[in-house]
Amino acid sequence: MKAERDGLPATLSRMKSAGFDYLVKITAVDYVDHVDVIYLLRNLEPIKDEIVEVTLSTSDLWLPSVENVHKSADWYERELSEMFGIEIRGRKAPRLLLEKWDGTDPPLRKSFAWDAPYKTKGEKA
Amino acid sequence: MALQTDIGNIANIPYWTGGDTLHQVIGIIIYIIIVSIIFSIFGYMVGWLERKLIARAQYRHGPTYVGMWGLLQNLADLIKLLSKEDVIPENAFRPLFAVSLPLLLALSIFIVLLLPYSPTLQATNLGFGLLIIFTIVSFLPLLLFTAGFSSGNKFAGISAQRSILVLLSYELPVLIVVASVAMLAGGYSLDGIISSQAAHYYFGLLMPIGFVVFFIALLAEFERPPFDLREADSELIAGWLTDVSAPYYAIALFLDYARMFLGSVLVSILFLGGWLGPSFLPPLFWILLKAFIVSVFVIVVRATAFRMRVDRVLRFGWLWLIPLSLINLVMTYIVFVR
Amino acid sequence: MNITRINVGPVHPSTHGVIRLVVDLDGDTIVNVEPHIGFLHRGVEKLAETRMYMQIPPYTEKLDYVAPMSYDEAYVATVEAAMGIEPSEPAKYARTILLELQRIASHLLFLGTLCNDIGQMFTVFMWAFKDRDMVLDLLQEAAGSRMFYVNMRLGGLNQDLPPSFAEHALSLMDYMEKRVFEYEKYIEKNPIFNERMKGVGVLSRDKAKELGVTGPVLRASGLNYDVRKANPYYVYDKFHFNSKTLQDGDNYSRYKVRMLEMQESIRIVKAAVRAMPEGSAKGMPVKLRSPVPPNRISIVNRELPRGECLMYMVADPQKPYRLSIRSPNFINLAAIGSLARGARFADLFAILGSLDIIMGCVDR
Repeated sequence: MKAERDGLPATLSRMKSAGFDYLVKITAVDYVDHVDVIYLLRNLEPIKDEIVEVTLSTSDLWLPSVENVHKSADWYERELSEMFGIEIRGRKAPRLLLEKWDGTDPPLRKSFAWDAPYKTKGEKA
Repeated sequence: MALQTDIGNIANIPYWTGGDTLHQVIGIIIYIIIVSIIFSIFGYMVGWLERKLIARAQYRHGPTYVGMWGLLQNLADLIKLLSKEDVIPENAFRPLFAVSLPLLLALSIFIVLLLPYSPTLQATNLGFGLLIIFTIVSFLPLLLFTAGFSSGNKFAGISAQRSILVLLSYELPVLIVVASVAMLAGGYSLDGIISSQAAHYYFGLLMPIGFVVFFIALLAEFERPPFDLREADSELIAGWLTDVSAPYYAIALFLDYARMFLGSVLVSILFLGGWLGPSFLPPLFWILLKAFIVSVFVIVVRATAFRMRVDRVLRFGWLWLIPLSLINLVMTYIVFVR
Repeated sequence: MNITRINVGPVHPSTHGVIRLVVDLDGDTIVNVEPHIGFLHRGVEKLAETRMYMQIPPYTEKLDYVAPMSYDEAYVATVEAAMGIEPSEPAKYARTILLELQRIASHLLFLGTLCNDIGQMFTVFMWAFKDRDMVLDLLQEAAGSRMFYVNMRLGGLNQDLPPSFAEHALSLMDYMEKRVFEYEKYIEKNPIFNERMKGVGVLSRDKAKELGVTGPVLRASGLNYDVRKANPYYVYDKFHFNSKTLQDGDNYSRYKVRMLEMQESIRIVKAAVRAMPEGSAKGMPVKLRSPVPPNRISIVNRELPRGECLMYMVADPQKPYRLSIRSPNFINLAAIGSLARGARFADLFAILGSLDIIMGCVDR
């Protein structure tokens, strides 16, 4: 299920009242030109899963916080902002969760520079 | 028996209270040496046994390599600790920190020297021996407090607070039970307590409640599990010993054995008849055997008990031990004294 | 109010790895706990983007070093889902057996460390470790290693279970049944244990849902979610077993759920060993070049000993484009703040022990 960034907290709280009140995970995938943020939600009884996807353009990376809807989003959002450089609006700027970072690209973005030891054919080092 | 009597004659009371100054001094020195040897050997063996017994309870072997059955392991540890640098943390209050632990050990050994070990092997036969001993015993938690408080570590600070809590809730039952023992024996003399037990039954049989209360409260006083709140490894790292480094830690280990010895000898004197026993073996043997059995029991408790929480320890002390010790006092008065 | 702030860890006897908890104490009562994690962050998710598919299991295994095979299997199952490979029937049985053995081994470690945390220094710990070692012996027989197995291959295992395995597994399970009974008998009758566990660190049903905890922690709070039941994989649907749920949500239920789960695992292993079909459980040999995955995105969830692990993989021809791991410990640890608030300082470690955190898995 696709969702718009601006209405995200509203979407999630609507789904929460529809029974999807358990947040499994917030994760993201960097597709270079855009970043997909994925919210995995679950209805515990009866058991049913739902995926909410938000597409962000790489030049405009921010998300509204859903911490008020799902309390468990706290750490996931902090991880997201740290690993993908996505700014989470609507909550106080969190302390870095996992690492102290030196201001280069966020580590899970594809632009993060490092010497990858294995290259497939056609990929530039 | 013969050897025992000889040792006793050298160090017995008439010898060094009645003779001239030189004899008194020599007598005191010889007495201190004899008791120190007994105490060291006993403490060392109990320390070794503690490691072995707990290892056995845990499917381990314990020390095996140093000496026969690992008998010299503790000695090796001691040498290692003494040869290390002593580090006093920067934010420790130095004078107090440096003095507390040695003073603790000194006081514990002082009590050990005051205890009677056989009819002839005893330092003093003063009428108030029991009072002196428990005055000093009550002072020990205060020194633990200063040791923890002065090390400047927060964990040690918490441990120091707990030490005061234990002092508040477990000193009282110990003293009340001691009072009922004194009442039963008709005096504060340790010698008198034992001879009174010889005349009747062991006090442990006459007042079982008092015996149990005293034993439990003594476990708490001397930081044995399940009351090892002050040294709680999994919470406070090592409690008041967190910032204590090598030589001081060696002192702390000594202190552990000293308190174990002290506690078990006290229990055997007050409740198990001290040196009384069949006469085919010397009295010293019997008192040490009883102390040894008490020590083994303490060790087994350590191998099996979970640690109690601070508030529960206090509740247990105030709701159970103090009422029980009072009941014991009253019952002793009604049944035996009146 | 006079607040003492204490640093628990990174070096502390009962932090289960490297975690730093900043604890604010008011007297002996906890006002706030702030976990600082990341000491064991190894960037596994990023590393996975640079390795070939079958080079990754050694990394995912090291996430949870107490139950490595479970993570190994979760990852390989994700790759299988991406490539559309279905394991053979004997392989399914063999994997079920190994996973359940791993669960028993993991819960035994939980039991030992929990008892350490509430102050029974090392007796129960050593007992549990002795039994855990026997389970590891069995796993060694099957996989050739005691700790990091790298035993899973696409479509099966690295090697067949040895012929003596069934007999050994059955006799060990008989022994384990007795041992679990003994643990319960010895531990649960201890008044101090009950005092430290019952009514401490209560996580209510709604709160558990809100905080998103998983696995035994969730089931101890009365929510019956078990991936093995909800979304049965391998042969879990062929055997009768209960996913145990308790209602209290305190430390004791979290402990008890795991003990009950161990008993269920023993039953599953026994049934699976008896029902194991003939045939080879061997999977495809490891090649650097693997088939091109037909599925771009694959999501696989597995019930690990510590809770639900969910792997979200975006596949590229030779290596994952993105591997996202939902670690059960990460979210369980996030609950420590609200669990420990208002508890006694000593209870913090009982709660931490009952959550059963593995830091390698939290930090990834």
